[in-house]
Amino acid sequence: MKRPVSSLSLGSSLKGKLVRAGFQFTTDLQDLNPEHLSAEAGVSQQEALEALQAASSGHGVAPVTALELLQKEEEFRSIVTFCSQLDEALGGGVPVGKVTEICGAPGVGKTQLCLQLAVDVQVPAVFGGLGGQVLFVDTEGGFQVQRLVDLAGAAVRHCSLLAEDEEQRVAMTTFTVETILSNVFLVRCRDYVELLAELHLLADFLSNRPRLRLLVIDSVAFPFLRLHDDLSQRTRLLQGLGLRLIAAATGHNIAVVTTNHMTTRLHSSQAQLAPALGDVWGHAPSIRLLLRWEESRRLASIVKSPGHMDASVQYQITYQGFRDADQSERPPSKRPRSQTDQSASSRKNTGT
Amino acid sequence: MVALLVGMCPGLDEGLLRSLRAADIRTVEDLVSSDIEDLAQKCSVSYKALFAVRRVLLAQHTAFPVSGADLYEELLSSTAILSTGNPSLDKLLDSGLYTGEITELTGGPGSGKSQVCFGVAVHIAYHLKQSVIYIDTTGGLTAGRLLQMLQTETNNRDEQMEALQRIHTFRLFDVCALLDCLYGLSGGGGGGLHMACVGGGSVKALIVDSVSAVIAPLLGGKQNEGMSLMRQVAAALKTMAKDFSVAVLVTNHVTRSGSGEAQPGLGVSWSHVPTTRILLERVESGASGRRSATLIKSSRQACLIKEDFDLQWWSRAEGGRGGGGGGETSGKRKLDETDP
Repeated sequence: MKRPVSSLSLGSSLKGKLVRAGFQFTTDLQDLNPEHLSAEAGVSQQEALEALQAASSGHGVAPVTALELLQKEEEFRSIVTFCSQLDEALGGGVPVGKVTEICGAPGVGKTQLCLQLAVDVQVPAVFGGLGGQVLFVDTEGGFQVQRLVDLAGAAVRHCSLLAEDEEQRVAMTTFTVETILSNVFLVRCRDYVELLAELHLLADFLSNRPRLRLLVIDSVAFPFLRLHDDLSQRTRLLQGLGLRLIAAATGHNIAVVTTNHMTTRLHSSQAQLAPALGDVWGHAPSIRLLLRWEESRRLASIVKSPGHMDASVQYQITYQGFRDADQSERPPSKRPRSQTDQSASSRKNTGT
Repeated sequence: MVALLVGMCPGLDEGLLRSLRAADIRTVEDLVSSDIEDLAQKCSVSYKALFAVRRVLLAQHTAFPVSGADLYEELLSSTAILSTGNPSLDKLLDSGLYTGEITELTGGPGSGKSQVCFGVAVHIAYHLKQSVIYIDTTGGLTAGRLLQMLQTETNNRDEQMEALQRIHTFRLFDVCALLDCLYGLSGGGGGGLHMACVGGGSVKALIVDSVSAVIAPLLGGKQNEGMSLMRQVAAALKTMAKDFSVAVLVTNHVTRSGSGEAQPGLGVSWSHVPTTRILLERVESGASGRRSATLIKSSRQACLIKEDFDLQWWSRAEGGRGGGGGGETSGKRKLDETDP
């Protein structure tokens, strides 16, 4: 099957000149040297060389069989959330190599879960973690270092209780609150331009830091909520953003976690809460977790996933972080109310 | 527009070519559409020679009509119908995916498009023992899920591995890579396709999940290449389907029309490309795996017929089939409960 010249990845004016000169297929461009081509088509030598290179190369990558893909997948661990029910529903935790989205009403615990994951990704490999670094992109200003210190301290205590053999004790010397904090790279983006610019530079950043295993964007909705006067531009930007995140996740084997807000959608004259940014963004994440309130309980549901069943589990947010819900039916006001426990104070504001 | 080159036909030598170029005749179209007498005088070439060249070029570049009977014979001998594995979907598709045609699945997020693609790939690889090419642009391809689906078909580990080896995957995230891949597969007289069917069986299905993820960001705004690239992808898929007798299955996203109705994405230009289109939607009530499929474009059946089906059909237990696919949750095992 002959490949048309207009399908090559060259500039559109160059392609136009080639087609007008009669070179319709790449087979026409074979066996030509650059001088000849530049004379025929009226393009510069540089452009002619570029065109010839594009025509002769570019036969795509080799396929990977599903068996090889399975073997590669089994090598990669997931990031635990420390809520064992949620980890079980997710088949181990938040998977590496995919984009996961956490959506929920304000105050339900999205930033808390992101902070928990930022700590959990650093758990050393001997304890079943990934021992990786994390890039935290904060667009809302919800990142609080003091809370991260609390979560890190709780995780270190948890692991030191689990340390049994020599290897694990050695690993504990490198797993301290200070090292946890030093492995979190924080970027503060104030609007969508800064967010897109940061993601443009992501590829370089990732290649310089091979230990990076998690990218958190909290939240992806906030910078785009202000773009309501040019919705088509917003759609295009979001689609491009989604594609870039997926490429980064699969190409560099990192887990990408984004948070999203909720908005109201009218569905057969009934108002329902739905994740913001619309269906356009809904196609980008592979896995979607919905955090919501049900009376006084907090529930996490998997609403979209290629590999897991839809499930709902209960969780709670304690001083130590994101944890399983207590089995006993204690009312949530019994939770220790320290000033760093933002979730307890914002709990009063949620209505769903 | 085909360029005039030396040796294209007997009589078209360097000298003639140079004089034609001087008269600003560069392509076959220019030669065929110009006045031969005039041209013969301008280039000081014999009228007869030029006329002979023109006749040969016309014969070389004309399309020849085929009679309807011949076309029907060819269709009967080369078309195959591949079942999707789910009887409700097969009913909508008039017994399955037809080779030589493009079928499109469209639906909102979480409506089950990728799951149907997995199910189709597993069914074709295991039951029909043919190779499948799966191009993933969404990052949602999970080999663990394919294995889960296979594990409910058979407990034999070797057979599962064999079926997995028949599914060839590509992960691409931009349209140029997609075009490179498609032309690479079809180039050299299907050389790429033959290389892909090492595990026995020829390639009978090509699944692209999803085609809108790579094309939609290019459409609209001040970008003028988007439509052209979309047409390139459509042409590549159609030629592959026809020339190599494969069934092409693509997925598409949905957009909301003015009244809030879901309609397939990529606009009217793309709507002419697939032969059959199915819209998947979540069923509000009922078990979590239930989806409804509506036929919105078909050349063989009445449109807007609807079928409810269960996404868990492809992972049902052997003896656990209830009416119409059932809502059995026991058939579907979680990823962490794999057999030792």
